[in-house]
Amino acid sequence: MKALHLLRTQETTSARAIGVVLLTAFTLVVTFFLPAVADSQLAGGAAITIVILGLSWLIGWSGQISLGNSGFMAVGAYTAGIWAHHHNTTPLVVTFIFAMLIGALSGLVIAIPSTRLRGPYLAGMTLAFSAAISPLAQNFTSVTGGEGGLFFNELTTPKWFLNFFSGPNATINANAQWTADLSVVVAGVMFLVMANLFHSRTGRAMRLVRDNDVAAELMGINLPLTRTLAFVIAAAFAGLGGALYTIINATVTPSTFPLTLSITLLTLMVLGGIGTLSGAVIGGIIYSFSGNLVDHINALTGVNPASNLGANMQGIIFGALLILTMMFAPRGIAGLWGPIKRLKKPSKRLATAEVVQ
Amino acid sequence: MIRIENLCVNYGAVKALRDVSLQASPGQITAVLGANGAGKTTLLRAISGLVTVQSGTIHLGERSLVKMATENIARLGVGHVPEGRGVIGELTVEENLRLGALASKVNIAEGLETQYRQFPVLGDRRKKYCATLSGGERQMLAMARALIAQPQVLLLDEPSLGLAPQVTSELMKSILSLCESKNLTVILVEQNAKSALRIAHNAVVLHLGTVVASDHAAVVAHDDDLRRYYLGLVQ
Amino acid sequence: MANFLASPFMHNVLAGLAQGVLYSLLALSLVIIWQSTHVLNFAQGAMAMFATYIGMTEIDRGVGYWWCVIISVLVGMLFGGLAERVLIRPLYGKPEINPIVVMVGFLGVIEALAAAIWTSTTRNITPPFSQIYFHAGGQVILLSPFVIFQIVLAIVIMLSIAALFRFTKLGLQLRASALAPEVARLLGVRVSRMLTIGWMLSAGVGAVAAVIIASGTFGLFPTNMDGIFVAGFIAAAVGGLESPIGAITGGLLIGLSEQFILSYWSATLAPLGGIIILVVALMIRPQGIFTKNVERRV
Repeated sequence: MKALHLLRTQETTSARAIGVVLLTAFTLVVTFFLPAVADSQLAGGAAITIVILGLSWLIGWSGQISLGNSGFMAVGAYTAGIWAHHHNTTPLVVTFIFAMLIGALSGLVIAIPSTRLRGPYLAGMTLAFSAAISPLAQNFTSVTGGEGGLFFNELTTPKWFLNFFSGPNATINANAQWTADLSVVVAGVMFLVMANLFHSRTGRAMRLVRDNDVAAELMGINLPLTRTLAFVIAAAFAGLGGALYTIINATVTPSTFPLTLSITLLTLMVLGGIGTLSGAVIGGIIYSFSGNLVDHINALTGVNPASNLGANMQGIIFGALLILTMMFAPRGIAGLWGPIKRLKKPSKRLATAEVVQ
Repeated sequence: MIRIENLCVNYGAVKALRDVSLQASPGQITAVLGANGAGKTTLLRAISGLVTVQSGTIHLGERSLVKMATENIARLGVGHVPEGRGVIGELTVEENLRLGALASKVNIAEGLETQYRQFPVLGDRRKKYCATLSGGERQMLAMARALIAQPQVLLLDEPSLGLAPQVTSELMKSILSLCESKNLTVILVEQNAKSALRIAHNAVVLHLGTVVASDHAAVVAHDDDLRRYYLGLVQ
Repeated sequence: MANFLASPFMHNVLAGLAQGVLYSLLALSLVIIWQSTHVLNFAQGAMAMFATYIGMTEIDRGVGYWWCVIISVLVGMLFGGLAERVLIRPLYGKPEINPIVVMVGFLGVIEALAAAIWTSTTRNITPPFSQIYFHAGGQVILLSPFVIFQIVLAIVIMLSIAALFRFTKLGLQLRASALAPEVARLLGVRVSRMLTIGWMLSAGVGAVAAVIIASGTFGLFPTNMDGIFVAGFIAAAVGGLESPIGAITGGLLIGLSEQFILSYWSATLAPLGGIIILVVALMIRPQGIFTKNVERRV
């Protein structure tokens, strides 16, 4: 009996790994056919996907709302930035791991006061944290470069890759391609990690704690530990995403990760589908091409992109999307197809539920 | 006059009330009896519009109460003392009473005066927060709060709950005298069948959502089968 | 006396109180909504900002300062009522997270819309009070007619709200609707109407804070209420979302702590004052300092 069970889990994990590898390979092929600009956008989107994976884990699976993930991104970004600044010969992997670790640590720091909180208290606490990053970054200028932030060398594309490209824009194309491919691979790896987490015992414990913490406790699950773990993992993912994002853009300043980014992350996650893997990918893709999307809408509605309205269209659209999605399609795009698993079992409802119709 | 006909109420898949009919007249106490889960509270909540009615009718005089908002039903003169009394602990005695009078056309000062005369204990405690009141005092307050609006109908959900026998019998006596003096239509839901049957004129016995008996109180009180199977009153 | 008032310590106290009083107003507005509908309105600051912009456009047309204030507050109240009806009402009974997310989205929309309509340049509404600090015996006291106006107005609003809730019929109905909505309905209280009114009152209070900010040196720009909101939220949380007094006290505390950090440590770190207080307070008592012992998990 036990052997069968083991075999089954093992099989599913390998199947998952194969699936992800195929998906990543497919995406890599796609990058070859995209123009340089699109590749850069895709790279950013991949970074965001990583962050959303963590956010989905935190909000969707452990039921703890967080508005602070832009803060975790900033932590990872600055870690990567500071490290690269002083050690610009380290391999990328090391930088990434460092960013994840420091990100995870910041997640731990936030989790300690937060895991006892619920709902709005928790949201506010994470909001406060996210709001603290900018003052901190601005203040400790010797480390963080203050207002100006940190710049560092762009990603160096290896020679063997450059050889594939020829023509007038070879270097630019090669760089963009390399950036995109790297990001996609990293995103693919993290996707697999999260997929395994979803199906692991930790994932199940997480969901139980979310839906019925009394039952979870009775089963011997350590509540604070599980909740803290959720934060730590989410922060690690966000840290990595932030680091990747920064490396792609070669700069990080106190205003790279503002509060509005937390809102955007939330929107993308909700749009894609809370607590789903595909939702994170959908969110990332939407992010990649949101600029194009907004341009399209501007063109359709005849709005001049240079005007005030045009410049703020993105904010208006995203905000409106978040409201509409939450009110009418809370499962997001991913929830529109496939077996709709009951991922979000609502455990706490507004008190005025039965009263006001 | 409250007239209920073929009332069906569902809680999701569970049929809480099936085909329940009942009539309650002014100046009379109609007791609704039965075990826990029989649907007694659901019946009162249906009258007050707190639960959705699947089918059937509820009339107050000529008016249909189905689909009417709870607060409007209350404003028509249907006073409802809910299960657990619903005394708002964070408010004072006087504030609870004022609240009762707000929605009616009653002069608040006079209303308070009347209730304090009727229930002197409340008068003594008028500025106290209700969380500090005893069970019996809360029951008094809940009644006074319903009465201050000068309702025509009084729906009482297990008023004797948690009260000592002496207090219960005093309570029942005052319910009877209020009913008669003010010509109220009283529907009295009770687990304590014995004390309810002592003051009731009519009795309806519910079991798992259906009416198993509906007759004069005296008849119901002396029916051995009813006593044993549904009322928990074994010889 | 003048020496004392002009001392650095008093400078900080007065500046801290002046700012803190604004946080208290916002915190109070959040508590009002929380008590009636158990929703945390993340868009509270932004709504107030938008209402102030509308008031400001009236000033541009030549209307006086006081009219601007009144219009801003009225528009704010309208906004609050609409938000409750359109955005929050459909969400009763849904998971707790939904209205939070919806209001966060609303926040984004309002700020972007404000920037779209009025640009991000800082605007000012000029109050009929001088902003020049008093002098006494050659020293500066950090009070100006405007600062006094600020503190007085805030206190007047807070007292009015308190009086409304404690002494009026409306206040009693509002409290009952928040404490025991079902019982209130059984007593004939139009609870749904009370909820809308609660939101309107809350938005009005928030609008007052926004108008004061817009009249001062900070000025009016689309994201000007963000910091105030965070501080106001922290104040409300520290006081426990159930307690108006806690909220007000929290606001003053945060204002003071920010000021002292600014003065003795660094200006850029000032926003951390509130956060430090929040972390400490919530670690000591996760349910807030002023709440009664209610099980926060249920």
